[in-house]
Amino acid sequence: MIELDRRRALISTAGLAVGGMATAKLLPEEMLLRDRRPARSRVAIVSAAAYSEGLADSLTRALRMFGLNLRGKSVLLKPNFVEYIAGVEVNTNPVLVGAAAEAFRHLGARSVVVAEGPGHQRDTYLVLAESGLDAQLRGQKLAFVDLNRDELIKVARRANYTGLEHMWLPRTVLASDFVVSMPKIKTHHWAGVTLSMKNMFGIVPGTKYGWPKNILHWKGIHRSILDICATAPIHFVIADGVVAMEGNGPLHGTHRNLGKIVLADDPVAADFVCAQLMGLNPSLVWHLDRAAHFLGNGSPGRIDLIAEQLPQQIVPFDVLPEFAHLRLRS
Amino acid sequence: MNCADEERRMGSREMTARLRRLFKAAQTDRRGQGAEAGQQAIEATCLTILALRNDQTADIKPALHAVENSQNKDGSWSAFFGDDAEGCWTTSIVVLSLMLTGREIKCLKSAIRWLLDTKGNEANWLWRWRFQILDRSVQFDPTKYGWSWALDTTSWVIPTAFTVIALRQIHRRGIKRTAAVTERIDLGIQMLLDRMCPGGGWNAGNGVAFGVPYSPYIDATAIALLALAGHEKEPGVQSSLAWLVKRLPGCPSPYSLAWGILALAAYRGVNREVETTLERATNELVALAESDAGADDVSTVAVCALALAAVAGDNVFEVRA
Repeated sequence: MIELDRRRALISTAGLAVGGMATAKLLPEEMLLRDRRPARSRVAIVSAAAYSEGLADSLTRALRMFGLNLRGKSVLLKPNFVEYIAGVEVNTNPVLVGAAAEAFRHLGARSVVVAEGPGHQRDTYLVLAESGLDAQLRGQKLAFVDLNRDELIKVARRANYTGLEHMWLPRTVLASDFVVSMPKIKTHHWAGVTLSMKNMFGIVPGTKYGWPKNILHWKGIHRSILDICATAPIHFVIADGVVAMEGNGPLHGTHRNLGKIVLADDPVAADFVCAQLMGLNPSLVWHLDRAAHFLGNGSPGRIDLIAEQLPQQIVPFDVLPEFAHLRLRS
Repeated sequence: MNCADEERRMGSREMTARLRRLFKAAQTDRRGQGAEAGQQAIEATCLTILALRNDQTADIKPALHAVENSQNKDGSWSAFFGDDAEGCWTTSIVVLSLMLTGREIKCLKSAIRWLLDTKGNEANWLWRWRFQILDRSVQFDPTKYGWSWALDTTSWVIPTAFTVIALRQIHRRGIKRTAAVTERIDLGIQMLLDRMCPGGGWNAGNGVAFGVPYSPYIDATAIALLALAGHEKEPGVQSSLAWLVKRLPGCPSPYSLAWGILALAAYRGVNREVETTLERATNELVALAESDAGADDVSTVAVCALALAAVAGDNVFEVRA
């Protein structure tokens, strides 16, 4: 009798375990993750007509609205530098990167470093030199770290969208006190949009994952963005929408003079607002929609626009036909 | 010897000395300024070994031992020392380094086997079918495949070009002359020609995507041209060489400039433009090296040293018989 009960208990336990595992597999990933969304997120939309010398002052004023305590902290600026194409605004504008560095120094940062790992171009210095970032770095005496070739640390994933066992990420990013994602606001031919979350693809080291970071493409771009952003720190966003890109982004689109810089203390909230500025529906961008369930805020009810409001009238960005469904009505 | 020759000789000596210093610092300071200084990437280590292999004052033996000892069980190498035991593209450059320093043939055998067995995902019929029928946003012929950066991904230009160079040298040196070697070399060459950008030159891997022609990169074009040396009659090789000759002068980055020089040195004598550009680019590299702009990491300094050696007649990536 006792033997029978023990057997029955064992079978029941095993059944529960198998059932539990099967259920876990069927559940959306974000239901298994800890909810890391802040109670509220703050986003500042700031108008800027051009990349001018006054940008540093504008950014300092806007940053002060967030009441950040940066005294003694190491700040890492992660702009988006893909490659240089003459006459095309592909990258975060170097003047904005320089202005951000100046603003963070004003606010008491102990150090400011610029870091990037271009996705396709192995000659990082060529991208810096031709894009004008190198001149900006020298002018401001700013250090640069090539994240494609930085020292790597094995990190356990904090989400499981890709199925990768772990990730190798650059020490410089992980050791920084305050990581700022500085994307160029652009459409993207695979992901729909490339904003502060997609920009973090650039921290993934080419040394390990290749040029392009092809392992992650095969695991799915949206899924990879979620795993990277759940695992690596993003403390702040300064998105370059002074001149944005529409159409066949991220490289071969056309200029769009949006005239906005978006600052935020939550990358998900930043990307939701940026997508709305582009006239696109963020909830239909898979990685943004998923991220808004556990990583940051997407709901307007939890986002405080602390500077300008969204414009009343927005002409949606041109997109490739497969992303036509993203466009909101103008 | 004229003034320019003397400057180059001095530039070459200075570059080798700088590489020696960086290399020594990397050996002693294991917790330095990044992968190349502290953790050490296999690629950077191999480029250094190649650049310093004839330097009597540099002790590369510990580095060679470290490389040999880090070989994975399947014959491959990973991306850096301490990486997961998964083979990747660096295996080709390790093979080149071990071959040119006359190291263990046993170590090479399993590495060559791994290179011959490893294929880009297009080699799989299911993925090939997908690229032929469903996924046409990137235009390429998936029946022509080469090697990838990491396992279970598609073929890309630089890993394929490095592996073709390694296999052509293996064949030339008589280390392995089988049908499998020549088949993979031929297929790799076909893949490179297929992925060329319209008008010549190579990008990371796609010539055209979403209907838009992509721009070539100097380093990818140079490495692909090194792999294709001896195929000068191919129109694609001619147009790519012409693109490189036009693009290289004035390049502000020592890394790309050095790769361009390595490629042009392998095509010496093809035409006058190649000679003139090689001369000019070499002078520019020496000048850039003096200014120190963009040449502060081991890989770049090693490629610069290899480029200046190639101008002097010692091109480690030469594949011709």
